[in-house]
Amino acid sequence: MDPVAWERQIRPIYDALDTGSNKSAILACNKLLKKYPKNGLTKALKALALVRSQKVEEALILCDEVLAHKPTEDATLSAMSHVLRGLGRHTDVVKMFEDAFKTQPGNEEYAAQTFFANVRIGNWRAAQQVAAKMHKTFENVRYVYWYVTAVMLQAKDPATPEKMRELLHQLAHRQLMTSPSPSYIQADRLYQHLTVLRELKLYDDAQKVLEHDTGKTMYNNSLAVDELRRNLWQLSGRWTQERELAVQRITEKKDRNWLEFLSILDATFAPIVSSEEVSDEARTACSEQISRTRELFTRISEEDGLKDRSGLLGLLELAKRSKHYGFSQDSSELLSLLQTYWHRFGDKACFYEDVKPYLELDADALSRWTSFIDSVQPSCNTEANLRRAINWHKTRRFTLPECEITPELESARASEYIKAYFAGLSLGKDLAETELQPADDLVILAAHAFVSSWSIGGGEKQLYNASVVLEYGLTKSSHSYHMRLLLIQIYRLLGSASLALEHYRLLGIKQVQNDTLSHLILARASTFSLAGSGDITYSNECLESSQIYMTNSHETSDWIVRAFTQEKYSQIPDLIALEDRLDNSLQRDLVKLEHVRMRLTHEPINSELIDMELIELKFNFDRFHHDNRDIDIISNYQPSCQKSIFEQSVLFKKLPGPGWLFAFLKIYIRALQQASDVDDMVEAKLLIGDRPKQSHDPEVQRPLKERLATRKQVELDELTPNELALYDFATALGDWLEPHHDHIRPPPAKVLADASKQTEAKTGRPLQGIEPADLTTNGHAKKDEEAPPVKDAPESIACFFDDMLARFKKLVESGELPSELLHVATLTQEALLLFTIETLRFKPASVVKMYKLGALATSCKAIRTKAVAVLKDMSTELTKLSEKEGSSDQRKAFVQECQVVQDGEQIAHDFVLNVAKRVTDSRKKVEEGIAKSILKICSKDT
Amino acid sequence: MSVLRPFKATDLFKFNNINLDIWTETYGISFYLQYLTRWPDLCCVQEAPSGRMMGYVLGKAEGTGPEFHGHVTALSVAPEYRRLSLGRKMMALLEFVSDETYGGFFVDLYVRCMNKVAIGMYEGLGYSVYRRVREYYGSLGLGPGGRDEEDAFDMRKPLSRDPQRRSVRANGRDVVVSAHDGSVL
Repeated sequence: MDPVAWERQIRPIYDALDTGSNKSAILACNKLLKKYPKNGLTKALKALALVRSQKVEEALILCDEVLAHKPTEDATLSAMSHVLRGLGRHTDVVKMFEDAFKTQPGNEEYAAQTFFANVRIGNWRAAQQVAAKMHKTFENVRYVYWYVTAVMLQAKDPATPEKMRELLHQLAHRQLMTSPSPSYIQADRLYQHLTVLRELKLYDDAQKVLEHDTGKTMYNNSLAVDELRRNLWQLSGRWTQERELAVQRITEKKDRNWLEFLSILDATFAPIVSSEEVSDEARTACSEQISRTRELFTRISEEDGLKDRSGLLGLLELAKRSKHYGFSQDSSELLSLLQTYWHRFGDKACFYEDVKPYLELDADALSRWTSFIDSVQPSCNTEANLRRAINWHKTRRFTLPECEITPELESARASEYIKAYFAGLSLGKDLAETELQPADDLVILAAHAFVSSWSIGGGEKQLYNASVVLEYGLTKSSHSYHMRLLLIQIYRLLGSASLALEHYRLLGIKQVQNDTLSHLILARASTFSLAGSGDITYSNECLESSQIYMTNSHETSDWIVRAFTQEKYSQIPDLIALEDRLDNSLQRDLVKLEHVRMRLTHEPINSELIDMELIELKFNFDRFHHDNRDIDIISNYQPSCQKSIFEQSVLFKKLPGPGWLFAFLKIYIRALQQASDVDDMVEAKLLIGDRPKQSHDPEVQRPLKERLATRKQVELDELTPNELALYDFATALGDWLEPHHDHIRPPPAKVLADASKQTEAKTGRPLQGIEPADLTTNGHAKKDEEAPPVKDAPESIACFFDDMLARFKKLVESGELPSELLHVATLTQEALLLFTIETLRFKPASVVKMYKLGALATSCKAIRTKAVAVLKDMSTELTKLSEKEGSSDQRKAFVQECQVVQDGEQIAHDFVLNVAKRVTDSRKKVEEGIAKSILKICSKDT
Repeated sequence: MSVLRPFKATDLFKFNNINLDIWTETYGISFYLQYLTRWPDLCCVQEAPSGRMMGYVLGKAEGTGPEFHGHVTALSVAPEYRRLSLGRKMMALLEFVSDETYGGFFVDLYVRCMNKVAIGMYEGLGYSVYRRVREYYGSLGLGPGGRDEEDAFDMRKPLSRDPQRRSVRANGRDVVVSAHDGSVL
């Protein structure tokens, strides 16, 4: 074929793919395939267009055809690797390049692609073999480092047995020794070399490398190498050297990296920290070191004055450690340093954070500190004084004793903070709209005091006051994310879900922040989801926030590969950690579960939904999760004897964690599995793409049924009492119906035959990879064993609904927060949905007849009737509440409850009224919506 | 006083207190990873003793011949840690590495023409305006700041390889170039 003519014909397909016109790409491929029906590249490109148009079945057929011919053409290989990655068939990519490399053993590109394909799936053993071969064949030193990196990563893999690790490290070391050029010609090669030596504890060898002139330059020029150098010196006990270098950097280079100060501090106490029995000599040596360090830090602190905090902070740390190790008996030195610190740096915004670790004082020292701080209360007349005043309030608050924390005192403190806020506000009146007011933290402190007051019984009005004062703060500093974060928490407690979401969206959360911050709005979000009544806002939020995980699986491995080609070995472990932490993110699966809970309220419950969600949730059940959620983002200014502001204000007092996730996964996997016809064998046959890597926890190896039945206290502890009731309900329901499901479920052969038929109808060909033997039994193969006897429904199932209604009514009577009411109502609704899933199989009249399930059907009907009656009752109650919520009386009451914030008259009545309106309207909306959702769900399939 | 250490890929989980600030953009993960996999030594973090991130800088080395230089892509400090010379320290590191490791002729950066505080700080560090780039921040459109809001100053500071200071000029503010192709307007 003439290459120019071919290029002319194939180009439009690439163009169409590049512009996302998959349809026209498919048409162009079809045209070309008519002429050249066996052309691999065209087939590969068509498969790519098909994958991108979600036509997976058709793509699979083409894919297998191309792979069967073992392609060796660059363009085809490249197109196929995209197709296969799109289908999640990463092991097939490896196989494809392996085959190509075998056919052309002198092709360096295929070798590299085989290596990368293994890198992408973390197949380090195979990667290392390829790298070894590459080094032999192509004699490029970089392949030594590829090999070493792969070996080191294999050693680090949790699946590698402990005793193998040492061997692998030795293997890496041996290979490095064969390298014709020294490692120190490149920082990252040196880094890798030192890492190997560290793992093997060959500290003297490492020292030789570091002492070399180039080695020295490298650790002085590269933070990464220096980090490793520090680590090596500390591990090998080179404290004198470590100290000398740090002193030299601090005094000669004027380096103020806190790491250097920490090195000196660690070196100071090394004589007594490293050995268990401390000799008198060691103590004397240490004591001398302390004097030297004190002298040095004092000199630095005097030289730097106001310019840098390191010297003085170093002295504080020295005093703290000296006391800890018994070199000083009382806190006098610490106290006097704290006072100096206050005088010198009390007007720095970070003062409070700096001194917090040193304020854990004994009673006597604390009272001396308190009387000192009481004697220096600053005014808010200048910006520097304002910052000082803020620090004063934060510091004073931190050491409040428990007896001084009562609802009334906290409310009074809030008043005091608000007063100071208004005094400070005038200092920032000329700032641009985009700037933050210097007085902001005082509003945040006021909100802290209100939330604290609420948490110890001060009543809902404290939360109203907090919301008003924060909303006011935002009118002055519209970009203060700290205020928004607190408002989101407070609005969720108050049940003003739409306002919480509004503030969340204004934070402009993007990309990876979705993983770390979406918990703010999506933890237990089904409590507020109106999907059942048609408003899928929250459900969409779940999907959008989960985009980052797709991005991660598509993009991050490219960068890991790039780190190899660019020889940035120092980055590889962290890149892998990033990919793994996102891929196995706890938040990812929490959001997934919330989405399933919402989805069930607004989509028809059928076998397609059941099978799909079952497979996905089962994958999640096998993961080892990483919790990447950023909780510390909410600054905490609560007294040290109290819980943090986050813990106080988190919805239902408990943040869902791994325990919660596993409890709910058990509830759902069990229900879906019973309802589904897809068993493990069918799943294995139908699954496209590789299975996600499983956790190495031995727990995962146990049979699924056993795992689902195991209840763990750590999991139960993370549930609210209402969630626990749902768990009990689901368990009783599952136990009751299981024998009938197992009896009726069609055999795998039948399920596969049906699936194959469906595929044939869609694509014209039966399902691939299914042996005729799998399909031998066709038709309704009734099982030979006898039908299990129908038992009466356990009482606890019907009781659940009565109990939930009783709880609900009690909450209404005692005027609890709307979020609490919604929690009970949505969980009761969820119970009905679980019931629908569990009983779907027994619904068709033909099934009831064939399996003689009349009695079971009657029981189910009775339970359903009970559930519907209870839910309708709740719905009516919620409607009543929502009407009340929308009334002017309610708004008036809200305004009246907000006396504290209106005291100084700076926050106008109309402003408070407006907040009241927004809060109550938002509550009205969610109460109304949930009431409607319940009615809709009750009316489904009846 | 803070810990100065390399920027790591997993810092993306920790940088919220810096990135939630209105003036700091959060990009896709690939943006950060392209820097970390090519110029990791030009990317660093300042961290408080508590472990909280205070600020970071991302830089790269680019250009050919006498135009080879270090470039500051992003420099950001969380609001609560401003006025502590953190920006200055991170710039010093980036300049040092651009000079010692890469042998660049200068370091450059872009700053909004209206951002007088930042311009003043960079001038204090030895940077001067090399040219004004028209509509560099075009996506925002003309705000109350007018042209100053969407135009950028390209500021430069010569390194030891440029002792003659050929990479800077005195009348840089008057040289206006197009953001699209760098042509003089």
